[in-house]
Amino acid sequence: MAERGDRGGFGRGFGGRGGGEGGRGRGRGERRGGRRGNKSEEEKWVPVTKLGRLVKSNNITSIEQIYLHSLPVKEHQIIDTLLKGLKDEVMKITPVQKQTRAGQRTRFKAFVVVGDGDGHVGLGVKCAKEVATAIRGAIILAKLSVIPVRRGYWGNKIGLPHTVPCKVTGKCGSVTVRMVPAPRGAGIVAARVPKKVLQFAGIEDVFTSSRGSTKTLGNFVKATFDCLMKTYGFLTPDFWTETRFSNSPYQQYTDLLSKPTTKALLPPTEEPLQAEA
Amino acid sequence: MSGRISVPSNYLTLWCCYLLNYLCFQISVYLCTSGMGEVILGMPGQWAHDYREKADHYTSKIGGLPDWPDLDIPVSGKLLLCDLCGGKLCLMAQIYAPLSMAERSIDERVIYVLGCMKKDCGSNPQSWRVLRLQRCKQDIESKDEPLKAEQPEEESTSVAEDKPTSQSSSVKVCDDEDSDSDIDLDDLAQALEQAATLASNSKKQDGTKHTRKIVEGPVAKKLIYDLTTPVLPCFYIYSQRNSSEGRMDKANFVGGSSISLKEIEKSSGNESEGESWEGEAYEYDKALGADRTYLKFKKQLDAYPEQCFRYSYGGNALFPVANVPKPGACKICGSARRFELQLMPPLLYFLQEASDDSSNFSIDGWTWLTIIIFTCPKNCCSGTCDEKSGNSCRCIVEEEAIVIQDD
Repeated sequence: MAERGDRGGFGRGFGGRGGGEGGRGRGRGERRGGRRGNKSEEEKWVPVTKLGRLVKSNNITSIEQIYLHSLPVKEHQIIDTLLKGLKDEVMKITPVQKQTRAGQRTRFKAFVVVGDGDGHVGLGVKCAKEVATAIRGAIILAKLSVIPVRRGYWGNKIGLPHTVPCKVTGKCGSVTVRMVPAPRGAGIVAARVPKKVLQFAGIEDVFTSSRGSTKTLGNFVKATFDCLMKTYGFLTPDFWTETRFSNSPYQQYTDLLSKPTTKALLPPTEEPLQAEA
Repeated sequence: MSGRISVPSNYLTLWCCYLLNYLCFQISVYLCTSGMGEVILGMPGQWAHDYREKADHYTSKIGGLPDWPDLDIPVSGKLLLCDLCGGKLCLMAQIYAPLSMAERSIDERVIYVLGCMKKDCGSNPQSWRVLRLQRCKQDIESKDEPLKAEQPEEESTSVAEDKPTSQSSSVKVCDDEDSDSDIDLDDLAQALEQAATLASNSKKQDGTKHTRKIVEGPVAKKLIYDLTTPVLPCFYIYSQRNSSEGRMDKANFVGGSSISLKEIEKSSGNESEGESWEGEAYEYDKALGADRTYLKFKKQLDAYPEQCFRYSYGGNALFPVANVPKPGACKICGSARRFELQLMPPLLYFLQEASDDSSNFSIDGWTWLTIIIFTCPKNCCSGTCDEKSGNSCRCIVEEEAIVIQDD
């Protein structure tokens, strides 16, 4: 095969020459200092998506702007930057087994819920061969799935919203979870597992009712999460007024920062002439 | 400033070495040979002092103006214009990518990625152009070749002494003007700069005589006088191998997690009755805005967060979305194009950082997640290169780029 002999590459090996390797090492030392700040490698975030670049440059300051235009969040550092008080908790780590010819292969599945207790909650599920990897991965996935939770009143609109605005129901697998507004002081009336999710969401009082095989607690917690997602999807009379549409952050900042390309020319006086003296 | 100096050769050698250290390197990228499927990452290096400064075509860089090697026919204007708006394209990346294949090796092969900066063209994949410029080497043993790789020490020695032995005569400073110990200072400096530029090349062991073309120009970095072409901020690239998995685990570390393993073991211990997590099966990664393919792409990016491009001749591309259009066939030989390299989003971030200072072009028009470049597997020539013209024929072939947008 012709391809077998092919070896792509930028060049040959260094061949152990002092000049080459020294130059490379020197160059690398120079570069690192010049470009980077004081942050260590792990802390410095290089954004990948356009939304990430906008968040990094502080053009987007609140996560509500992202939710308003339903922009998909693809980097967890966006959430870290915009929501500072996010707490996380591992709900469960279960071993998951797969039968192979050489026995059973066990992997660990981690369920992590993140939330700030004030209307933002996220749920992450990750399978990995090691527990620590699963937890880390699940935290990142939970941050990517942070949603806003709408809260409302049971009766009198006194004080801050404390319960769900209306009856909502969420489903995952065979489990359906129904949440019903409750008066102040009722607390979260739910099983232990969805109670945790609702606490992270910042809901103070709610009545819940579940149906289906709630023993599959993975589905149970996902059904609760799905239910919370629907709180902002429910059309209540507050939303009957006409929506005034605004520019999505992509368009807003592109128009602001773009300049006509004819200005790319530097004025000739600034060009230093490098002719032979 | 030009002058002739006549100094003893050992002083000159010392001074050459000193000057070598003193000059500002633009390190050309001679990456280690990659096997099939191995990925080489282009990491960001030094910024250029001036965005229009001239490098040589052995340098890999982002932005700036393209460095064309000495061409018989200059690059045709049509190739440098945008298909959509007719404006001039600007250089996004210039990557020196020689190949060593079984039947022949192509040393002078450069890939230029050009893009249009106008607002409307930026998001349209047709405004991108990839050019592969290579030198069709017919005869290795020729005398007309430009300088190939040389060790800096050896070259400086040979420049200093200029002895007509078989090995050190591989560098001839001037054809007929110099005596043995008088050396033109400028040529010496140029020789050193060339040596610095090619510092990490491997030497050709065939011991043939090479004559070096005199590089015109002063010692300081020359600027390219091209005021009409839009220019991106320029920085140079150094290479790094994509190393093993251990790096990735470290990269996934999320600092400040409030969970410790001991707590987990404790909490899993006290479970109330009736609650047992049953029936869990393996689940693929999924998030609200990101699917499994994208999460794998992101994982590779997190291992080396600053990677500007991934080079893997004939290897597999890293796709951020599942459905990617297949590349076409080469227009000259008809064989299906093969993956060579892909540009990654940190590149846009670095360019945007630099452009904040002089915001006179719209990088925000670019919203690509990756640009995947496919090239002809046979590295064919455009057909105008024939046996008679010998070995100094260079061809420019247009290759294909697939742009994946970030919606």
